[in-house]
Amino acid sequence: MRVSTLGFQTEATQQMQTLDAEISQTQSDLSTGISLQNAADNPAAMSEVNNLDAQISASQQYQTNGTTLNSNLEIEEQSLSDATTTMQSARDLAVQSNDASLTSAQRQNIATQLSSLLSQLVSTANSTDTDGNYVFGGETNTSIPFSQNGSSVSYNGSNSVSQVQISPNQRVSSSDSGASVFMNIPGGNGTFTTAVGASNTGTASIDTGTVTDAADWVPDTYTITFTDPTDYTVTNTAGTTVASGTYTSPGTIAFDGISTTISGTPAAGDTFTVAPAGTASAFSTISNLITTLNNPDATSAQISSEVGTTLEQMDAAVSNFSNVSASVGARINSITAANTTATASQTAMTTQVTNLQDTDYAAATTQLSTEELALQAAQESYASIAKLSLFNYLQS
Amino acid sequence: MADLLNTSVTGLLAFQNALNVTSNNVANASTPGYSVESPNFTAEPGESTGVGYYGTGVDVSTVTRSYSELLAGQMRTSQSSYSNFNTYATTASQVDDMLSDTTTGLNAQLQTFSNSLQTLADSPTTTASGTAVISAAQSLAQSVQSYSSQLSQTEQNVEGQIGSNVQQINTLATTIANLNTQIATGGSTNNTLLDQRDEAIDTLSQYVSVNTATDSSGSMDVFIGNGQSLVSGDTAQTLTTIPSEYNPTENDVALTTAGSATPLDITSSISGGSLGGLLSVRSQVINPTINSLGQISVGIASVVNQQQAAGLTQSGTAGQPLFAVGAPQVSPSTSNTGSATVSATVSDVSSLTADNYVLANNGGTWQLTDQSTDQSVAMGGTGTAADPFTAAGVSIVVNGTANSGDTFLVQPTAAAAAGFSVQLTSGKQIASASAVQSAAATTNTGTGTIAAATVTDPTNANLMASTSIVFSSPTTYQINGTGTTYTYTPGSAITANGWTTSISGTPATGDSFTVSSNVGNTSDNTNLFAMIDGLSSNSLDGGTTSLTGAASSLISQVGSQTQQAQSNASAQQAVNTSATDAVNNLSGVNLDEEAANMVKYQQAYQACAQLITASTTMFNTLISAVSTTA
Repeated sequence: MRVSTLGFQTEATQQMQTLDAEISQTQSDLSTGISLQNAADNPAAMSEVNNLDAQISASQQYQTNGTTLNSNLEIEEQSLSDATTTMQSARDLAVQSNDASLTSAQRQNIATQLSSLLSQLVSTANSTDTDGNYVFGGETNTSIPFSQNGSSVSYNGSNSVSQVQISPNQRVSSSDSGASVFMNIPGGNGTFTTAVGASNTGTASIDTGTVTDAADWVPDTYTITFTDPTDYTVTNTAGTTVASGTYTSPGTIAFDGISTTISGTPAAGDTFTVAPAGTASAFSTISNLITTLNNPDATSAQISSEVGTTLEQMDAAVSNFSNVSASVGARINSITAANTTATASQTAMTTQVTNLQDTDYAAATTQLSTEELALQAAQESYASIAKLSLFNYLQS
Repeated sequence: MADLLNTSVTGLLAFQNALNVTSNNVANASTPGYSVESPNFTAEPGESTGVGYYGTGVDVSTVTRSYSELLAGQMRTSQSSYSNFNTYATTASQVDDMLSDTTTGLNAQLQTFSNSLQTLADSPTTTASGTAVISAAQSLAQSVQSYSSQLSQTEQNVEGQIGSNVQQINTLATTIANLNTQIATGGSTNNTLLDQRDEAIDTLSQYVSVNTATDSSGSMDVFIGNGQSLVSGDTAQTLTTIPSEYNPTENDVALTTAGSATPLDITSSISGGSLGGLLSVRSQVINPTINSLGQISVGIASVVNQQQAAGLTQSGTAGQPLFAVGAPQVSPSTSNTGSATVSATVSDVSSLTADNYVLANNGGTWQLTDQSTDQSVAMGGTGTAADPFTAAGVSIVVNGTANSGDTFLVQPTAAAAAGFSVQLTSGKQIASASAVQSAAATTNTGTGTIAAATVTDPTNANLMASTSIVFSSPTTYQINGTGTTYTYTPGSAITANGWTTSISGTPATGDSFTVSSNVGNTSDNTNLFAMIDGLSSNSLDGGTTSLTGAASSLISQVGSQTQQAQSNASAQQAVNTSATDAVNNLSGVNLDEEAANMVKYQQAYQACAQLITASTTMFNTLISAVSTTA
């Protein structure tokens, strides 16, 4: 087979250039540490790397979200704890005040202490979080949510709360609205409230009552009227008599699935009301008691009934704080769990990216020595072969 | 006369010529396209004598070159293929390089933007977080615009290269025609001219695929691409570049024909070689990438802007569009004769594609064809402003009168990326809150709960008006107290005034729910989550592709095309090397062979010279024998 001189040289040069190019590529892989430099190197791997990088970035963002939220939730938990302590102190005072032997001045003293606890509760309800926003303001948390006017406290915040995303598929509430924590606490015993008629002259008091059969309860305001100290009728707002009977102290009056106990001696014309439980705010629970204790004309019976209702409502408030606190605790746990999962998955994804993208130094170094050897061999062989020519040996 | 002297002299002259040929070969050992020449020795005719025929010496009758048209043809074919793939791969890898950056690429920027929305959602009233969203949006826009301008630059480079390739082809064509003339008029055995012509055709094969045909006079006709005649005898056609039918910045290849002012567009017949590669990479990589990038930009802008409109900013006003994006382009054909103008707007983002479309008037009826697949596309509507044509995600309006045969190129997304920019400057302009809120009345006694209301039509005039849903019974309700009584199904949608919500559970008679304005709830982040969810939802391709999915897909598509072209180029290079070797092995000069020939002819020359000396000696002997010594 015939080989042309020019052809031999061209081909040898081309081969050396190819080896040069390969060495250059390997060197680039080694010095940058990345072997997947272009999508052309491995389109499917590049696509996966992009995808993983995006997930890692999103995961880190969720962790940041969770950290901020965690601090805020811990502040909320602390506030709820403070509110519970305040409410329990108030409860102790309420129990104290249910003493028929107290003088008017002593009752007013208790009322003053309750006032200061009320202000403390308002202050707790207006706490702020790490961003300077109000913890219990709902979605209008840049303006102060609770305002106190004398002994009445109103809520100016919103009833909705926003959410924070702590993991790819979890969004949790960022706080609780003041309405759900402090304002809309179920009143009375949860179904109905009882009250002593304001103009009663007798000494009878009424307890908070119980529900015997919820299905039979017809929500309405009922009036228990004593026609004389031993006979009563129960009428609803339409004027219909739903029950009647005789009374001895203590006596249970039952109708429409509920029962309540009256003790003491009612006078003729005395009334007691049974009304559907609305919601009561934690504040009005305290301020109602303050009003009653400050009234010099309040009778022991009225005070006793008021305290009964107050204690029930205070317990309901503390129970509500406790429920909210439990949900806050659960959210804090979710954040911790999401954080752990995120850290683990980020590690896994980063490893995957490294596998797809990074240079395998051991393999690349070996490849480099192989290519260098090939290039050296090509260069040396070319140098020795190119010198050979018959012309060298022809003597004239 | 057959005698010693004359015969030896013929030998001398013959070997002298042979040495000339050898020295020519050696001198041209490195000349590209040179075919090794060999002298053909022919014995002189014998002379008849009484005792038989005596030979009268030798003559170098011709000098032939070693050349194979077949091998040359194979080399040209592989040369064109290699050049084609190589050019394609080089240009495609520029686009691939641009898209392949994982740290600042499109996917990374989209994620950063989404992250900035998340941070704002953590505390919508924090000014710094709002500013960060605008910054991230601007980064995203800059990234898209940078891609767009780089693609534009690459496109311009390609156009420039097309122009210079065409010029090279023209120069070579002229050279070949000239050589044809010289060869036909008596130079048919002129090896130098033949080599030059073959060399010119070899070079031509780098630019475009060639086929040749030799005619009886020795002229070689050259055909390029899919059989387009370039050189015919002594006439060379001239190629030129003309602006393409729809886009004056794009060059098509055309043939100037004598006697016609309009060049003939032959772009579709060009294939192979670097020119073929450039035309392919333009239509298969650059233009589709521009369109796909545009499609993604329209997707981003549409999702974000729609959500802006559905929400409220910190100051309680409706959000304004955050992104601007380039509008669809419609270009009339340069050969249109009617007076119609056509415009298009995006009407359905999820139906957009990365293709261009041709709108043609055929005898009064308008038809739409996909330019890359040549498939016809059904259109809805009639083309008027009140009832536009709808197809492929755009609405097309035709004004004026078109003549039959008029065509327009509709490019829905080609200009989108170049025009992708951020229109808002303050973080406070981000519509973080939902426009409406829903609530159950605190006096409700049933167990009904109402879901968050979502805005479906921000333009509804009563969107922010307070609307009540009151239950007249546990299974029926009225909206705003009067009118229709609706039957309640838990969980099913309730729509009014541009919003939609749903109620679940068991409401009691008299329970009421309100949907009202959300102004004032400055920390509401519902709209931000809607934006975040929209960005990750499948908003493109009929609900099958997400924005990041489309970006990823674009990157792998270009990557695959580049990888394939590179591997094809590599394979073709091997084929080309082998074909070139075959040609070289036949036609190339081997110095060792020439050295051996030189020795051979030298010895033969010396031998002939010796014979002449012998003849002289014999003549001297004879003369001295017959001269008298008196």
